[in-house]
Amino acid sequence: MKVSYFETGRYMSARPMPSEWPVPSGAYDPEAGAQAYRTMIERVQCAEAIGFDWVSVSEHHYSPRILTPAPIVSAAYIAARVHTIKIALLGPIVPQSNPVRVAEELAMVDTLSQGRLVVGLLRGTSNEALTYDLNPAEARERTDEGMELVLRAWAEPQPFGWQGRHFRYRTVSIWPRPLQQPRPTTYALGTSRESCEFAARHRIGCGVSYGSFESVARSTAHYRAECARHGWEPGPDDIIYRANMILAETDDEAHAVLARQPTTAPFSMRAGVRDAIAKVDARNIAGTARPPVVSGALPTTFIGGPDTVVEQVRRCRREVGAGVLDLSLLPPGSGDPDALLRSLELFGKTVLPRIREI
Amino acid sequence: MAAAADASGPGVGAAFREGHVEADGLRIRYREAGDGPPLVHLHGASGLYLTPAHDQLSRRFRVIAFEMPGFGASPGSDRHDGAREMAATMGAAIAALGTGPVNLLGTSIGAKVGLWLALQGPERVTALVLEGPSGIRPEGTAPGAGAATPPSRESLAPLLHAHPDRLDAIALPDPATWAKTWPLVQRLRGPDRDADFESRLPALATPTLVLFGTRDGIVPPEIGRRYKELLPNSHLVYVYDAAHAIAADRPAAFTEVVEDFLERHEAFVISRADTVIFP
Repeated sequence: MKVSYFETGRYMSARPMPSEWPVPSGAYDPEAGAQAYRTMIERVQCAEAIGFDWVSVSEHHYSPRILTPAPIVSAAYIAARVHTIKIALLGPIVPQSNPVRVAEELAMVDTLSQGRLVVGLLRGTSNEALTYDLNPAEARERTDEGMELVLRAWAEPQPFGWQGRHFRYRTVSIWPRPLQQPRPTTYALGTSRESCEFAARHRIGCGVSYGSFESVARSTAHYRAECARHGWEPGPDDIIYRANMILAETDDEAHAVLARQPTTAPFSMRAGVRDAIAKVDARNIAGTARPPVVSGALPTTFIGGPDTVVEQVRRCRREVGAGVLDLSLLPPGSGDPDALLRSLELFGKTVLPRIREI
Repeated sequence: MAAAADASGPGVGAAFREGHVEADGLRIRYREAGDGPPLVHLHGASGLYLTPAHDQLSRRFRVIAFEMPGFGASPGSDRHDGAREMAATMGAAIAALGTGPVNLLGTSIGAKVGLWLALQGPERVTALVLEGPSGIRPEGTAPGAGAATPPSRESLAPLLHAHPDRLDAIALPDPATWAKTWPLVQRLRGPDRDADFESRLPALATPTLVLFGTRDGIVPPEIGRRYKELLPNSHLVYVYDAAHAIAADRPAAFTEVVEDFLERHEAFVISRADTVIFP
C-alpha cells in the first residue's frame, strides 16, 4: 500500500470564524495565513521523513477550511522544499480553468520537481461552481472535455487546434512538456460513472474519496469493468482512496477525538442556494444518483488504535481495491497543528510499517 | 440513390439539386446548393451523402458534392487503380464545372484523392480541407483491410460516429451498395503507408486544414501530426467528441472551423470572438 499525506494548509485563528460558505474575506487574519503556510512546510517535511510516498494538495476557494485556492502554487512551493516525496496535485478544478493553462502549469511543476508530479483532474465540489460563475449544469461536460484537452496538450508534438463544445483554441503547442513521458501518473478523480469511464478509456487511474468502503467500491468496480471493456487491467496503484483518518494510541482515545470534531458540513451554503444548486448539479456513484451537497461532516472511515486501523486498511484494499491511500490525519479544518504532527508521527511508527505489504 | 438517402437525416440537403458533368468519358453526378465561392466535396468510402454541415456551408459557398465514379448507383469503375487515377478524373470533372479554382473538401479516402488532385494541379485548388484523411495510416489499423467482403454496418457504426444512437442515420450506404463499392474503396485507400505519396506532400504549398475527430475509430487521430509535419502550409485541428464522420457527428463545430479557414486561411488562428458582456 502506498500512502499520501493530504496537506490542506491548516489555518488556525483566534478570530471568530463564520461557518457559511463563502466565508467573508474580511474574517481572514493575514498572520494566521502566514503561520498556516509555515507549518505546512514543517508537516510536509515530517511526512517525507516518515516515509510517505506522496504529499497531496487540492483546490478550494473562499474558505479557511482548505487554504489552497491555487494548488499549482502550493505544489511548486512544496516541491522546492522536499526532495524525494512525490507531489500529488489532486487536483485542479478543470471545468472552471483554461485546460491549456492547466496542462502548461502541470508540465512546468513536473519539470521543476524533476519528475515528481502526480496529477488528479476533477470537477470540484458543488460550491466551487459559484467561485468563477460556472454553470453547474455544464460542469460535467466541461470537465470531460477539459481533461481530454489536458492529455492531448501533453501528448501532441505538433501545434494543433481544438474545436470543442466548451473550449476552442486554434493554436496549442505547450512548452515545457512534462518531464515524465508519456505523461505524469494521472487520475480522473470522482465516483461518477462518467469519471470512471473517462479514466478507463484514456488508460489513466481513478481516484475516489470520502464515501464508505461499500459506496466507493461500487465506483472502483465500475472502473475496473470499463477498463476490461477497453482491453486493459488496472493495478492497485491505479486506484486512490482519499479519506479522513483519526489514529490514537487506543480505539477509545480515537473516538474521543472524533467526538470533538465539528459536525458541520464542509463548504455549507445558505439553504436557498444549496437547494437551488442541488436541482441542477447532478451527481452519481457509478451511475446511481447521489445528493450533490453533503449535509454533515465527511465520514472518518479510518478510526481507532493502530491494530484497528491496520485492519481497516486491509479491508479497504480488499473491498475498494485501492493501492494508494490519501489521508487527512484529522479532518481538514479541525484540530491544532501540533496534534496533527503527533498523529503523523504515530502513523509513521505504528501503522505505516504494517501496511506496506498490504 | 440509396446511398445518399440512407445516410441523411430528415430535411438534410433539401436545398440541394442534382447535376451531372461529362468528364474523362464518364457521366459524373453531383449535388449542388448555394452561391458564393465554389466548395467541391469529395466523399469518403460511404459514398455521397449530405449532412447538416453541407446545408450550413451552402449559406456561404456554392457547395458541389460529387459522387466519384463507381460509388452509389453509378456504374462500377475498374479503371481507377487508386486515388491518383481518381484524382485525374475528378480534376477533369471540376474543370468541366467551369468555375475556375475551387476550395476542395475531401473526406477520408476523398481526402487522399483531393491531395493528389492538388498535387497534379495546384493552381486549381484555392485551399484544401481534409476531414479524417485516410491516406496515411499506422500499419494494420484499417478496418477490413484485404478482406473480400466489407466490415458490417454494426461493426463500423461506433468507429464512424462517437454517438451513433443520437443520429437519424449512419454514414454508410445500404448493404448491397456497400458490398459493390468495397473493392474500389480498397483500391482508393491504398497501402497504410505510401512512400511515393508522402514524399510529394512537402512540395504542396496549398493552404490546408486537417481535421480529425478525437474519437475517430477508422483512422487513429494521432496520425494528424504526420500531415502537419509533411504539409508546409497546414493546420491540424481536433474536433472533440467526433469520430471519423466529423461533419455528421458535430456539424456546427465542423462548419465553423471550415468556414473560418476557407475565409482567412492561416489568419484563422487569430480570434475574432466577441467577449464583451455589457457594452
